[in-house]
Amino acid sequence: MNCDEARLLVGAEPAATTPALEEHVQGCAACARFRAEMRTLDANILRALQHPPDVARAQAQRPPPWRQWALAASVLLATLAVLGVWLLRPSDTLAREVVAHVQAEPESWLATQELSAGGIDAALRRSGVELSLTSDKVSYAQSCWFRGHYVPHLVVQTARGPATVIILRHEKVRERRSFHEAGMSGVLVPADEGSIAVLGRDGGRLDALAGQMQKEIRWLPEPH
Amino acid sequence: MSERLSAPDLQEPIGRLFESLRPDLLRFAHWLARDRSLAEDIVQESLLRAWRSRAALQDPGAARAWLLTIVRREHARLYERKRLELVSLDDVLETPAGPRLAEPDDDVFVLRHAIMRLPIEYREPLLLQVLGGFTTEEIARELTLSSTAVLTRLFRARNKLRVICGMMSAPDVPGSEGER
Repeated sequence: MNCDEARLLVGAEPAATTPALEEHVQGCAACARFRAEMRTLDANILRALQHPPDVARAQAQRPPPWRQWALAASVLLATLAVLGVWLLRPSDTLAREVVAHVQAEPESWLATQELSAGGIDAALRRSGVELSLTSDKVSYAQSCWFRGHYVPHLVVQTARGPATVIILRHEKVRERRSFHEAGMSGVLVPADEGSIAVLGRDGGRLDALAGQMQKEIRWLPEPH
Repeated sequence: MSERLSAPDLQEPIGRLFESLRPDLLRFAHWLARDRSLAEDIVQESLLRAWRSRAALQDPGAARAWLLTIVRREHARLYERKRLELVSLDDVLETPAGPRLAEPDDDVFVLRHAIMRLPIEYREPLLLQVLGGFTTEEIARELTLSSTAVLTRLFRARNKLRVICGMMSAPDVPGSEGER
């Protein structure tokens, strides 16, 4: 058995053991390391599949039991604080939630290949939005649950790196606001309906992209 | 689709056995279809099909695997009929190595998203193997592929997940006939 054969078998069935594979792994440190990594990965795959996708997401976001009482005790305070923030600086709260949402989908930044128009359209359609980007590449497009609505979440590959665009039909902002949080810079800009959030890691051409989005988004009747 | 196994059906041991396996079937269908309500429809239709063909089930111990194959086929039928899969979204996984995520729970969280976005030709054999407990030969029979093709798909599925988790991509294996 050579390294290619060993890696095919290990990659396909990490738990597999055959005399030929064992003999090869004993004499090949690289394949032994590959097998150890794949077995760790496989244990995580099994854990990932233990719950259906939606349940898995909900459980991943649920705090541990010991925090329940602490959370309950702080409900009143938190409610007042949140209410205050909402009343005084609604777009700050919105910006934080947008950043938190982007942080929760780290894989969105990894995508680099351009999506087809059909793939982008599928993510937009659920929110009643049409978009015909002409100059930039969309590498990630999802319809995400955000503040009680499905919102399009896109990652656009720009000359300065990836930038996230979240179209917030139900979140109105009065004027442009910029924000910097968790290593991200962003702008929230008003749109004909609601607002648009654009985030990047290095600032980049966020305003230019936000302006482009303001022009190119078409608002359709919202699907029910 | 709204038809369910009736109460008298559920009195029979085979009906109770089928119902006891519903959570497993639903989980499998959910990962295949990536949509909760669609998964419920698939499982319901599959259980009805299984009920009508229950005489074909010789060994109750094989019920789980038998039902999983029915669910898979029902999903494939829907997939062919409605073209439910958005292939362009699946391209998201064709990415270079990203930053290593230190926490195991982060890996699992990222993996859940990544598995959801695996193209169906990779996700399906992986689910059959990991959730269904099927051997390579059984998967090959179910998907009407060669064993080598199944090994290749399983290798590529895990290799894509490796990359998403920040590990180095393993050199690809030569594609067998019918493989991309």
